Amino acid sequence: MNRFRPQIFPIVGFLFLAALGFVPPVAVAAGFTASLDRDTIAVGEQATLSLKFDGVQPQNAPALPDVAGLQFQYVGPSSSFSFINGQTSSSTTYNYIVAPQRDGEFTIPGMRVDVSGQQFASLPLKLIVSKANAPSAAAVNSGSEVSFLKFTFPKNKIYVGESEVGQLDLYLRDDVQNFGNFQLTGVPTDGFSAGKIAGLQSQHRRVQVGNRVYTVIPLAVPLTAVRTGALTLGPFTASAVVVLPSQNQGGDPFFQQFFNQGEQKQVTLATDPVNVESLPLPEQNKPANFTGAVGDFTMTATAGPTNVTVGDPITVRMQISGRGALDAITLPAQDAWQNFKTYPPTTKMETSDQFGFQGTKMFEQIISPENADVHELPPVSFSFFNPDDGQYHTLTQPAVPLAVKAAGDSPMPTLAANKNGAPENQTPQDILPIKENLGRLETKTVPFVVQPEFLALQSVPVLAFLAAFIWRKRTDNLANNPRLRRQRVVAQLVNGGLSDLNKFAADNKSDEFFAMLFRLLQEQLGERLDCPATAITEADVDKRLIYIGASPAALESLRELFHLCNQARYAPIQTRQELAAVAAKFKKAVMELQSLKP
Amino acid sequence: MKKLSTILLALIFAGKLFAADVATDFSAANQLYAEGKFAAAANAYKKILAAVGTSPNLLFNYGNAEFKSGNLGKTIVAFRRAELLAPRDSEIRANLDFVRDRVQGETLRESRRQMWLGQLTLNEWTLLVAAAFWLTFILLVAKQIRPTLAAKLKGATWVFASLTIFSGTILGVQAANHFSRQTAVIISSEAGAQSGPFADAQNLFTARDGAELSVLDQRGDWIQVASGSGKIGWLQTKQVEILPGA
Repeated sequence: MNRFRPQIFPIVGFLFLAALGFVPPVAVAAGFTASLDRDTIAVGEQATLSLKFDGVQPQNAPALPDVAGLQFQYVGPSSSFSFINGQTSSSTTYNYIVAPQRDGEFTIPGMRVDVSGQQFASLPLKLIVSKANAPSAAAVNSGSEVSFLKFTFPKNKIYVGESEVGQLDLYLRDDVQNFGNFQLTGVPTDGFSAGKIAGLQSQHRRVQVGNRVYTVIPLAVPLTAVRTGALTLGPFTASAVVVLPSQNQGGDPFFQQFFNQGEQKQVTLATDPVNVESLPLPEQNKPANFTGAVGDFTMTATAGPTNVTVGDPITVRMQISGRGALDAITLPAQDAWQNFKTYPPTTKMETSDQFGFQGTKMFEQIISPENADVHELPPVSFSFFNPDDGQYHTLTQPAVPLAVKAAGDSPMPTLAANKNGAPENQTPQDILPIKENLGRLETKTVPFVVQPEFLALQSVPVLAFLAAFIWRKRTDNLANNPRLRRQRVVAQLVNGGLSDLNKFAADNKSDEFFAMLFRLLQEQLGERLDCPATAITEADVDKRLIYIGASPAALESLRELFHLCNQARYAPIQTRQELAAVAAKFKKAVMELQSLKP
Repeated sequence: MKKLSTILLALIFAGKLFAADVATDFSAANQLYAEGKFAAAANAYKKILAAVGTSPNLLFNYGNAEFKSGNLGKTIVAFRRAELLAPRDSEIRANLDFVRDRVQGETLRESRRQMWLGQLTLNEWTLLVAAAFWLTFILLVAKQIRPTLAAKLKGATWVFASLTIFSGTILGVQAANHFSRQTAVIISSEAGAQSGPFADAQNLFTARDGAELSVLDQRGDWIQVASGSGKIGWLQTKQVEILPGA
């Protein structure tokens, strides 16, 4: 183990430094290539298109060119990083699923991509898509097919708008141990609107086909014809992975049945196309209010309240129940409602089967009488075409008597007067009315949270706190350090004293000048030597100042100042100029003293 | 000085004239609405919105006019924009709920948490955080200046510091919603969500007028959306109007 360590350390160290960005990447030539994982597939199968960028990375997945008959779906990027012989290289690959919509030979043109100003181009790619064919009857009967699909549709003639459920049966041979990844890759239902394909769990069965037994897994395909003419359903295509007993494991057959892990096999499945003729709805006897409902239905309708004032809302509820394309049913315009103001209806659907073909569709429409002459809600009618008997039928609900009062006869309806939102225990019948005043106008502004000025303003309390914190620290420091405090007091005293000295010099007050000078010398030296100011004498200049690093010139200067102070007691200096010169000398000496570290 | 006051007076006068014009246009649009000319009223409100700016009341009335014109999607967009400006206006909320109940098929709805967070606008949350932040630091500064007050201010400092952290967290969530999440509202009678951003891609599901979907991606004139039940598909941008997340 130990002998590997010396070799590992440099590599680990290099990778660590590389991760931290300290190792400059070795330049690798940038490139862009497009490739397909397969160049030949069948309708219903998918290929993967990979756009690989070496050494560069575009910000977004590149947009693909339009190729008629091919659908591209972006899957996601993948990245790789390699470190070989000291050279690092990285690449990013953008993957797309390519799903053909028809057979033929397709060319995906070369692509040009701009990455950070660099231009890259790929070569065109060719993809051959062959037809997906259902296995022949002979192949099915021979039992050679591991799996196959069959599609059946209950009718070969259908009316446009009629709904039926087709059945897609997946056959799995008895030796299939398991199957998975079943995907319908093509559901061509040209001229039909297809609903959600659902598995029919309860109808799994086993059947004998030729010499083999197959398990049949049925899937329901709800379909509604939306176009007339000769229509074709299929070929439906799918792919799946089946697990078959392994052929390569020898040994005792008895043990094989327990320990055979099986072999996975990808299968592509296809059905035969089924032809259906879609008939137009007859024009003869078509009711005026027919809106395209095809099926077999019943209707109920209610309206309320029936005692209202002009402008009050009346809710009309209609329920249409039965079998057919419920989703496509719309409420017919009620021509007899010309004395009513109508609002857009709302709909709700409750289905009793999994395909949405059986159930109830409920319409709720708000109407309001426009005058007091209205005495009834006219009959409500609904027409549909029944494909079973090939006839149109009209359902009519009788008129509902109404008592409508003029608007001035009663107070405004509660809803219109409500200014505080909808009542909690009552479903509102209409939106609340518009507002009379415009309110405060606002121009489009950037939210505060991203305004640089606003964010900068938030630094003010932080800076104020930092300033207060530093001030507090300095104040505390001063309070706890008497020597520092004395240093500041003396500095202040000397500053003030210098002004006084200059003033005394100007006024030629020799006695006051030297008294002040002596005091200042004592204070400054006392502070420097950390002893009481009154105890300072000329002797201290020679004895002690030398130990704190005072220069000979400063010592000489201080000695002279002391000497002058002593001399002034007996022979005062008279001239202003002489006093000013002494003040300047004192200032110079003090400045040097203050620069010394005590 | 005289010149300056003349300019100021002129500006004030111009501002009043401008406000009077907007109020007149607004009243004219209200009149159209009252006469039952809803489409014309919607256009008039829209013109004010485009020319002048916006207000919750203007958007509210515009939403009402679009609803009466039968445009559920545009109504929801207007009410949601109004709600972003005035989240505690019960009339906007009532009308938005009323219209949403009329949308057919799947649509996204805010969770209770989102509704609670939406009680304040993004700017209101920002100001709340800023106020708590400033008060916290003012107390900290006061403690530095007068250390004798430290004990008395300790409780209040903790309260404001906690409020800063709490409201700051919510602001972070709301800002993330605002800037990174978007909602697409269908404004055509129905829109087929397709498997890819191509005209001939397979239709995966249909969203109806007014349906609200979360936006996942945008590519050119196409947006990728997800319905409340997790269905994903691509729609053309002309079929939708996009709203910020919060």
